[in-house]
Amino acid sequence: MTPHSPFHRAPLQPATGLSRREFLWQSGGGLGGVALASLLGGQGLLSTQANPVDASASAFPGFRPKAKRVIQLFMAGAASHIDLFDYKPELVKRHGEKSDFGEHVEAFQDGLGPWMRPVWDFKPYGQCGKLLGEPVADLGRVADQMAFVHNLVGKTGVHSQATYLQATGFQLPGFPGMGSWVSYGLGSLNDNLPAFVVLPDHRGFASNGPKNWDSAFLPGQHSGTTLFPGRPNPISDLFPGPAGSFITPQSEAATRELMSRLNREHAVHEGDARLDARIRSYELAARLQLAAPEALDLSKEPDYLLDLYGVRRNPPTWPSEINAEEEMDHFGRKCLVARRLIERGVRFVQIWSGNDNSFPRRNWDSHEDIRRDHGPLARGFARGAAALIEDLQQRGLLEDTILLWTTEFGRMPSSQGGKGRDHNPYCFTNWLCGGGVRGGVTVGESDPWGYKPLDRNHPTTVYDIHATILHLLGIDHTKLTFRHNGVDRRLTDVHGEILTGLLA
Amino acid sequence: MALRDVFAIVDGQAHSTAVNAFPASPRSSRIQLALAVLSAVVTLAVGMAATAPGAAPDSWWSLRPLSAPALPIAAGKSGSHPVDAFLQKTLAEKGLKPSPEADRRTLIRRLYFDLIGLPPSPEDIAAFVQDPDPKAYEKLVDRLLESPRHGERWARHWLDVVHYGETHGYDKDQPRPNAWPYRDYVIRSLNEDKPYSRFIQEQVAGDVLFPGTRDGFEALGFIAAGPWDLIGHAEVPESKLDGQVARHLDRDDMVVNTLQTFNSLTVQCAQCHNHKFDPISQEDYYSLQAVFAAVDKADQKYDPDPEVARTRRELEARRSSLLGRRKDLDAAIDQRAGTRLKDLDDAIAAEERLAAAKDAMGYHSAIEPKPNVTKWVQVDLGQTQPLREVVLRPCEDDFNGIGKGFGFPVRFRVEVSDDPEFKTGVTVLGDFTDAKFPNPKLTPKIVSAGDRAARHVRVTAVELAPRQDDYIFALAELEVHGADGRNLALRRPVTALDSIEAPVRWQKPNLTDGGYPGLDFVNRPELVSLKLQRIELRNVSSTAEERETLARLDRDLGAVEEARRGLPSQSVAYVAAVYQGGGAFTGTGAKGGRPRTVRVLARGNIQKPGTEVGPGTLGCVPDLPARFSLPEGHAESARRAALARWLTDPKNPLTWRSIVNRVWQYHFGRGLVDSPNDFGRMGELPSHPELLDWLAATFRDGSQSLKDLHRLIVTSHAYRQVASADNPDATARDADNRWVWRQNRRKLEAEAIRDATLAVAGRLDLRMGGPSYRDFVVEKPEHSPHYEYHLHDPRDPSTHRRSIYRFIVRSQPQPFMTVLDCADPSMQVAKRNEGVSPLQALALLNNPLMLTMASEFATRIDAQGGDLESKVRTAHLEALGRAPTAEELPALTALAARHGLPNLCRALLNLNEFAFVD
Repeated sequence: MTPHSPFHRAPLQPATGLSRREFLWQSGGGLGGVALASLLGGQGLLSTQANPVDASASAFPGFRPKAKRVIQLFMAGAASHIDLFDYKPELVKRHGEKSDFGEHVEAFQDGLGPWMRPVWDFKPYGQCGKLLGEPVADLGRVADQMAFVHNLVGKTGVHSQATYLQATGFQLPGFPGMGSWVSYGLGSLNDNLPAFVVLPDHRGFASNGPKNWDSAFLPGQHSGTTLFPGRPNPISDLFPGPAGSFITPQSEAATRELMSRLNREHAVHEGDARLDARIRSYELAARLQLAAPEALDLSKEPDYLLDLYGVRRNPPTWPSEINAEEEMDHFGRKCLVARRLIERGVRFVQIWSGNDNSFPRRNWDSHEDIRRDHGPLARGFARGAAALIEDLQQRGLLEDTILLWTTEFGRMPSSQGGKGRDHNPYCFTNWLCGGGVRGGVTVGESDPWGYKPLDRNHPTTVYDIHATILHLLGIDHTKLTFRHNGVDRRLTDVHGEILTGLLA
Repeated sequence: MALRDVFAIVDGQAHSTAVNAFPASPRSSRIQLALAVLSAVVTLAVGMAATAPGAAPDSWWSLRPLSAPALPIAAGKSGSHPVDAFLQKTLAEKGLKPSPEADRRTLIRRLYFDLIGLPPSPEDIAAFVQDPDPKAYEKLVDRLLESPRHGERWARHWLDVVHYGETHGYDKDQPRPNAWPYRDYVIRSLNEDKPYSRFIQEQVAGDVLFPGTRDGFEALGFIAAGPWDLIGHAEVPESKLDGQVARHLDRDDMVVNTLQTFNSLTVQCAQCHNHKFDPISQEDYYSLQAVFAAVDKADQKYDPDPEVARTRRELEARRSSLLGRRKDLDAAIDQRAGTRLKDLDDAIAAEERLAAAKDAMGYHSAIEPKPNVTKWVQVDLGQTQPLREVVLRPCEDDFNGIGKGFGFPVRFRVEVSDDPEFKTGVTVLGDFTDAKFPNPKLTPKIVSAGDRAARHVRVTAVELAPRQDDYIFALAELEVHGADGRNLALRRPVTALDSIEAPVRWQKPNLTDGGYPGLDFVNRPELVSLKLQRIELRNVSSTAEERETLARLDRDLGAVEEARRGLPSQSVAYVAAVYQGGGAFTGTGAKGGRPRTVRVLARGNIQKPGTEVGPGTLGCVPDLPARFSLPEGHAESARRAALARWLTDPKNPLTWRSIVNRVWQYHFGRGLVDSPNDFGRMGELPSHPELLDWLAATFRDGSQSLKDLHRLIVTSHAYRQVASADNPDATARDADNRWVWRQNRRKLEAEAIRDATLAVAGRLDLRMGGPSYRDFVVEKPEHSPHYEYHLHDPRDPSTHRRSIYRFIVRSQPQPFMTVLDCADPSMQVAKRNEGVSPLQALALLNNPLMLTMASEFATRIDAQGGDLESKVRTAHLEALGRAPTAEELPALTALAARHGLPNLCRALLNLNEFAFVD
């Protein structure tokens, strides 16, 4: 926690100075508080005079973090591994045959029709020769940077719980998002923007909405700050809206000045650091008002770069049917904003593709027709993601920025009777890139149908992914804890193994 | 916690001066405990003796039997306040002294926010400051405790703890429009100052312990307060693993809510294994699940008026008795009528199934982007036979406003053949492909077959009907009349080139189910005739006397029905109850409320069930049995009643310690135990164990009146001290005021900020109770509602009620309240986070509600007249409870003069002094 970050709320501190005892008490009094406090104490960060240095630089003695930042791409609704990343020739061979899983399968909608081949053809890319489905062909350019995990397993085929599990490590509400934990553990890299920023799908929230990036029991400043680039206030209440028509730039300045003066007079002799912190929070708010619009302003990005991301400078009126160009524009825009945020020191950016399950479908839950939904959505995200990886690489940011592509679960190798696939919580794919991740590898295979992990006794779980990402960030996932209602909570619950095969 | 963590931490501790400075801190005892668990070899000689879980269960402080310690003899003072007697003894030991009493202006603002959650008006302040009565303070306390606003203020604290919300949470996050009766119950109970035991008992088992009462019913909203997984319950049946997981998690929510709220214990830690730190076994945990194993969270009807409830119960008893007698008589007659009656009943049932299948629309082809696509659908009559005519009945569907004739083909032909493939021996009965066939609406198209014999009848569309930028072929019914006019196609198998197959509405069998738009199902001649035959048969099978008795029973039943209809309509509340439902979410109602079997789950895994457990509770409370001995075949409610009695047993020390600690915390900003939801070994130790026990025992053994407890606490000197930390000596000894040498300055919570803003703006609507106000616009309500707060008009007066009446959405929390650290209804919040951030600053500066209220505040002040300076003075007094100083006034007035009163009011609402209470 960098005390100088504007998103660092002054902790409850009734007296001057931040005593060690108080710090421990405020961070939940937990053992996590001890670990974190010693960690920060070692950095001199408990002193209010500390410099806003990067806490991750040598957070744990003798341990050198590879990454400083994370960008998570979350495909809401459950993206099909089989049609995009995890090629299964067996399904091509057996296409249309009655499916036989060799065991009883509990499917969410009982959709166990015949085997269904990948909807698209696959081609090899890069030195590594990774096979990718046609809609994500754009990623072929960066295939040698990407690491695939094809044997992830979930716990449930229910969207809500599965989304919680991937986003927070727990399948029920009330737990902090991964970005919140990273913000809590490492704080911000900048003074003007939040540490954890979320770019939701512009059409609406995915299952669970903002609870996926809530700070839950962690202090509120670790919540993901939602950014809606299209709205007059991209961040809630960033500027006065129509209700503040009585405000002018002059009145704003005069108000701030008067408040500052009165607040300072009031705080004298009170010995209460919270009063001073609140004065400073108003100053920092003013800095955010400058920084956020600047970070979101794509107008100075060159044409070739906009084009790389699939972003139109002047987007047309899009047709009502889902289409790839529109998806590219929307998702690419978020990717470009993510790069700008990362450049400006945001620690964790989460981008969502897909909203809830309303009609017409605008998410990855293709029970009816993989081609119809997955096609445009995949082309859209792949264009932006490939551009983002190249752009980060070209700026030297990829080496300490981790990209994580995930979804709540996979889809079945059988059709659901028609052109869609049912949920498959038993096997799905993640991929990672940058930030100390070994490129061009596949760690963990699925079985020949993509139904379950090839080695059923050694699947990969979300805890392993989270543990690995924290490890790359220089955090021991077993030590980043926070006591809540009697339990020392951590992102990885009581699980998690570092996936050493993913490390460069 | 892994072994290496403990040692890492202990290692860290050894180098930490903090440990030496606070040798008795709970942290050190916790570490010591952890070590004891892991290794008997390691010893660490610090501070307070702690005990390992293997030790006697009552040795932990919170589990020790509760009795009131003797009052300390206060330092040189007789008749001192008991709270102060305990506190001052400790202060003296620590070399500290209490701070002086705050002035009356400070005290009234403190009391107002603490007891009713609103600021005092300038008139209230003036009256109190000038009141010569030495009992002025006590009078003010009494007045505030009697105010209906008091229940509203303290209900919010309670709802934080029980994680009350008004949507289900999880996927779709559908609203719970009938959750609010529980919220009103809490407000009412606190205002009525209900004894705490009764308050607990009503919430856990009010339906059985206080049957027929409104409170006993609405209180069950407590068990239902938490999130609920709609998909896992209503879309996935209990027979599937995901359905079982959802129900397991739901019981977990009920158990945790109960034990954490009333007993401040973390039983959830015993879900996967025995509690690692507290004497709670995994079996204890699952026995608690068994207590709630029959109930589900659901809307239930009830009569708030106990008189009406009683009448309804009597009428229902009479109805069921009359129905029973009629059933017996019917059975006797039916037996005499024999098998012929059974045949008739079967035939009637078949006809009635048709009526029930009204939602079945018909057959619907796949959807095509172009009209000129050939599609066919056909029926197999089972054998070749002569046919008189074929009847095509059109569909009706409001999709895209189409309505009658939906999907009826534009060009088509009707053919028959004995070849199911229609490759050979095909006869065209009717060809309508030459010209566009006009939409027939609901007029059937009849095609003569001229007694040609055939087995298969096919309708082939060669130009599809338009739908919405796309094209389809749909038919409601295909009838094939034989020589005798009978429909030979009825319930015969249907095949088609393709079909969207979206049951119940669209599926191939619908084409021959006998139903179609415009059919009068109830008055179909076939059905009427069957029913007449049945009456006739029963007449000949019964005596005149029997028929007379039946008629009388029917008359009596009619009278009962009429009386029932005359009762006021029932209310609905979202509570925990034995639920009787259809579809996937059946509840236990159909099984007479028999509790689901609960087994110990290895590692909490639903696929690893172990031994079955009966209803019970924790074994660690001395002198109280852990398992409930209930008679065989007991009602499920007996389990909850037993738990309610256990919770309120005077011998359960946790209950009383828990509640007095919570109340203390809300008055001082910090509990005597600073982990109000965890009195276990991972929690904090009490700072003043004797005071805690004295308060708890006195509360338990007295009136159990929460208002008396408030009165006791707020009349202490400790409560009335100044909050200023401007005391270097005391700050050096006790910087975080653990020993209460001063009051704590408290930051106003989200609700208090919002309510105070509305109040000073003169817009606060004090109407109590009823459905919640909604400060959002709902889009797409039918599936996953989008709760769009930014589209809400902050001027809407219906949303200017107190924040306790806000409609609380779980998945999309209200951004303004959330940034101000309001409670998250997804988790039990015993103590709110309290932070300061730039986003809070932006919310208070720019949120549309704050800006609207700044304008309203200005308008109100302006209307009071006078010169600008006096207006500024009044505004300051309203917002901050004091007049501006001689230095402040000119600066404030200058802002108002130059930029207008709204800008001044906005500044006042953003000052530190507005956001904190001293």
